[in-house]
Amino acid sequence: MVTIFGLTISEIMNIMVKEGVSIPLIQPLIDFLLKIPIIQYVVALILWKPVFAVLILPGLGGLMISLLFIIWFERKLTARIQWRMGPLEVSRPIAGLMQPMADGMRYLFQEVIVHRGAHKPYFVQLPILAFIPILLPIVFIPAGSIYGINSPYSLIITVALLALIPVTIIAIGWASNSKFAYIGSVREAFMYFAYEIPFMIMVLGMIIIYGTADMATIVEKQGIWGAFLNPFAFLGILITTAMATSRLPFEIAEADQEIAFGPFVEYSGILFGLVMTLAYEKMYIMGLIVSVLFLGGGGGPAIPLLGDLSPAIWLFIKALAVMMVMAFLRSIYPRYRLDQALRIGWNSLISLSLLSLVVAVIVRFMGGV
Amino acid sequence: METKFGRIKVLYPKQRLIDKIKGHVEALNAGLKEAIKPGRITIEYPRERRELPDNFRGFLLFDVDACISCFQCAFVCPANAINMRGAPNGRYYPCIDYTKCIFCHFCADTCPRGALHRTKIHDVAFSDMDEMLATTEELLKPPEMIREDKYLVKYEIKDGDIVLVKEETVVELAERPKFEIRPAKVSACAHPENCIACTLCVMTCPSNAISTKVENGRRVLIIDPKLCTGCGLCVKECPTCALALIER
Repeated sequence: MVTIFGLTISEIMNIMVKEGVSIPLIQPLIDFLLKIPIIQYVVALILWKPVFAVLILPGLGGLMISLLFIIWFERKLTARIQWRMGPLEVSRPIAGLMQPMADGMRYLFQEVIVHRGAHKPYFVQLPILAFIPILLPIVFIPAGSIYGINSPYSLIITVALLALIPVTIIAIGWASNSKFAYIGSVREAFMYFAYEIPFMIMVLGMIIIYGTADMATIVEKQGIWGAFLNPFAFLGILITTAMATSRLPFEIAEADQEIAFGPFVEYSGILFGLVMTLAYEKMYIMGLIVSVLFLGGGGGPAIPLLGDLSPAIWLFIKALAVMMVMAFLRSIYPRYRLDQALRIGWNSLISLSLLSLVVAVIVRFMGGV
Repeated sequence: METKFGRIKVLYPKQRLIDKIKGHVEALNAGLKEAIKPGRITIEYPRERRELPDNFRGFLLFDVDACISCFQCAFVCPANAINMRGAPNGRYYPCIDYTKCIFCHFCADTCPRGALHRTKIHDVAFSDMDEMLATTEELLKPPEMIREDKYLVKYEIKDGDIVLVKEETVVELAERPKFEIRPAKVSACAHPENCIACTLCVMTCPSNAISTKVENGRRVLIIDPKLCTGCGLCVKECPTCALALIER
């Protein structure tokens, strides 16, 4: 008898099926697949809630869909506002929605050039290593009953892991060993400190309001959305999200017009595809955090046909909405200079975050949530 | 910055917080307005075509029956793009070198019989430089075209703003524009006293309309108005300005 961690395979199967995601819409299909010998293990594993959270929604699958959608949406919306047409020729009937997919294909077949001056091992492995702090926070973000790890410190862990992403970007810039990449990484480091401190303070304020750092509890406690409880923190976190994901008023580290994508200037091929999407992936995670903290997380009218999937879908839609607002900023703002952005970060944003902390304390003393 | 006028410090404009917020709100508002109803005036070119004016200076076409081989197009061409090449019938017809042509259409304007005429074709591609010399045969019929357009787009000004008006029609691009043929002229010996009987005109005339005969011991020109096309080459060639073009 084969045992894993002292459990037989049938016992493991029982656990996975019992803790599986139940979706009434496709339940007959799942029941049918669970009867087929080998496939039943794969299906049970994928539908097991922790694995489902990481692999499908709000995890990797949601990340990929939002990535493909938001890149198209950003280009299309910016084009619309600037009186252009945007991507159109690839898949004309659906208004060029396949364009990011086509770009991804192009990246796959393009030659990856590792230039002579690069620190080769770091240059090649850092874009892949950068995925660790991107995918790990998803484990802690709950979507209703679908979550990877339920921890009382999940919000703090998520924010801490998010703070690691700029470190990988700075390392990418250093490994590129080129002038523009160096300038880009230094700018990224400056920006990192300008937004991270107000961001942490505002998250702290929200923890004070809810009295817990457990995201599942935070979502449960939001009778009134956090955005109305502490509008200053909401505004501040939207601005810091724009800064953290290098959206346009603060697109200083990448600045494609002056330093040609900054830290990522030397990358080509699929490695460029990986590093270019870093900011969007970070935006997705921050969108999830914003929707958990301020927009009621997975809360929303339950759709009976989707069962357990309903809160996950709501969370995904809310995160996508936050990302769409961020994409909208690109089309209306020019870029701040580094010193202006740092002034905003160290002056206005810190004031705003302290104000939001005061509001949080007042809300807490008024009775909390 | 230290200058001879003393120390100059560049201050950046002071703005009140309320003005800053107002600016941001205005920017967001403008963006939203354009996102909902964009005022874009792009023409999706292969699928839509812009309505071109009647006298659009495009690709040139040639009508060999109307041509009187007067060389005016070649004379007037500022870029020297027109070559006159001999045809088997002894006439000379224009070839256009599109490497040189600047599309000024002086040739079409100056043509007395409207033989070279303008079209609205502006999207012509050549595979190499040699092919850009359009011979007379190639000028006779419009170039091969693949039409993808279904709409004709017009720019109109409405309330001080440009709007696009789309119409589902396909226009004929190679259509010959209206041309008022100028009064036909004929060569005549306007100043017979100048004639020195050099017979250059006789040799020049492409249609053999000029002949000479001896009358009272003088050689006199005889111009057959039926054969004369009114091209005026003899007038140009005459060294003593004895000939002139007159209306028929």
